Amino acid sequence: MTSATLARTKEGIIKWALFLCALFAIFAIIVITVYLFANGLPFIFQTGIDKFLFSSVWNLNAGSYGIAAMLVTTLVLTAMATLGGGVFGLLTAICIYKFLPRFLKKPVGFCINLLSGIPSVIYGLFGLSVVVPFIADYLSLNASGYGILSASIVLMIMVLPTMVSMSLDALNATDPMYYEGALALGSTKEEAVFKIMVPAAKSGIFAALVLSCGRALGETMAVILVLGGSVNYPTGLTVSVRTLTANIAMGAMELTGDDLTALVACGVVLFVLTLLINGVFALFRSKMKHV
Amino acid sequence: MKSIAAIAALTLLTSLTLSSCGAKEFDSSKPIQVITREDGSGTKAAFMEIIGLKGQPDVQNAIIQQGTAAVLAGVKNSMYAIAYDSLGYLTDEVKQISVDGVEGTVENIQSGDYKIARPLNVVYKEATVEGNPLYSAYLDFLASSQAQEIIAENGYVSMREGEEFVVPDNLEGTISISGSTSLQPLMVLLAQEFEDICPKVSVEVNGGGSGVGYSNGENGVSVFGMISEEFAQDKAPSCVPFTVAKDGIGIIVNLSNPIEDISLSDLKTIYDSEAEDPIRSWEEVIG
Repeated sequence: MTSATLARTKEGIIKWALFLCALFAIFAIIVITVYLFANGLPFIFQTGIDKFLFSSVWNLNAGSYGIAAMLVTTLVLTAMATLGGGVFGLLTAICIYKFLPRFLKKPVGFCINLLSGIPSVIYGLFGLSVVVPFIADYLSLNASGYGILSASIVLMIMVLPTMVSMSLDALNATDPMYYEGALALGSTKEEAVFKIMVPAAKSGIFAALVLSCGRALGETMAVILVLGGSVNYPTGLTVSVRTLTANIAMGAMELTGDDLTALVACGVVLFVLTLLINGVFALFRSKMKHV
Repeated sequence: MKSIAAIAALTLLTSLTLSSCGAKEFDSSKPIQVITREDGSGTKAAFMEIIGLKGQPDVQNAIIQQGTAAVLAGVKNSMYAIAYDSLGYLTDEVKQISVDGVEGTVENIQSGDYKIARPLNVVYKEATVEGNPLYSAYLDFLASSQAQEIIAENGYVSMREGEEFVVPDNLEGTISISGSTSLQPLMVLLAQEFEDICPKVSVEVNGGGSGVGYSNGENGVSVFGMISEEFAQDKAPSCVPFTVAKDGIGIIVNLSNPIEDISLSDLKTIYDSEAEDPIRSWEEVIG
């Protein structure tokens, strides 16, 4: 065997190994999708799409599986957390980018990244023992601290590391000449950052928002402890509510039969929701690039 | 230097604000915060059945906590909360109140005076256990005086006198047990004792909930499935139950709540989503 053929076989093996790895990921997504739809869709049709999606009565004992209230809660909570976390995160990133003294940049960035290493159940416990009592004592009108207000505060903290580090990367990746040019033309530091650098980094910041949104949508363990858990529309900031993910997690270990299938059907709705959100964001993003 | 001073000032301000959040006075005109467990919880099923609300939906705005520890944390952190939890789990961070004038103690549960109690069962296939010396020895052990001692020591209610367990020769192997998280902590202690007596035996105790206990017992995944409710034959048709102990369900409130006793009917009304005359605030119960 010549050294050339040996090299070619080696290359072939590596190529196939890489291909298999890629195949595994695709295989996983196909299996999960098939599992979800094969189990969930027949259930949704059997219950009736309108009853499943537009009724808010979720009572397992009576066989009513309506997810409208939980769907609305999921959307409202995700929007609140993404918005709050997005604003806080972007401003934090800007602060680290240009407004912090050099020797503080590393430690502050390190502290924020540390947040992403904390298990989500710890966030939940923090929310349960600090945020919920505080809201109940000082802000709530009905003496209860559970609800979307506490949940969105907890989620806001959880999406911060993603939001901050990704927007900071985006800001750092923009050409510093823009900034210097703006200063040279007589703009202040604030104007240069907010009017030149942030718009220049908008595509990266948008990507950060999408990822934060995904995390807020999928987060279960943290919100399950502070949401309250009753199936209600979020008619107030401190009304006990339940999200779709919380609904699945609450029942997944205990329920059987039709009740369990109903949870898989909730999973289908979440799956479609994730696809929709990603699709809408992708559309926005491609539009933004063309402008 | 300016920024350091600013950060120091901010830290000081935050800690001052936080420390000024002292204890507030209990205001009995405030609404009762009803804490319950998730659907499928054995404790919830037992509690709702005992107070006569089996299968009813939760009251409006109820707080649903996952697991006994979360219930305790919820009551500890919320002044106007009421909840139920296994007696074996209660800590002195919450206040247990009596029901219809009867305290939830071991004696009162044994005698049957305290109404809110439930059995802790294991379910198993008779053929599997009787045909196997190891499995049947474990069942004998669960009925023994050694086991009753552990049960009583840990706040559960022993239901039998029990004779001393004598170790048969040459016991070895593995016993798998799974199911109710209410029985799990007690079963872990019992399993440790059994492993001490028979060093070559290993007993694996896993959680999962009563639903898992039924299905694992029925499917033979575990030798014993743990359930924390009255045995329902239709959930595991080929199994038989064995009552390990009884567990009282305590009614708990926040430590700053002045209430000492609640009537069973008031308790029922609080948890009844279809009550005609619902109880909303604490003054209606405290009187």
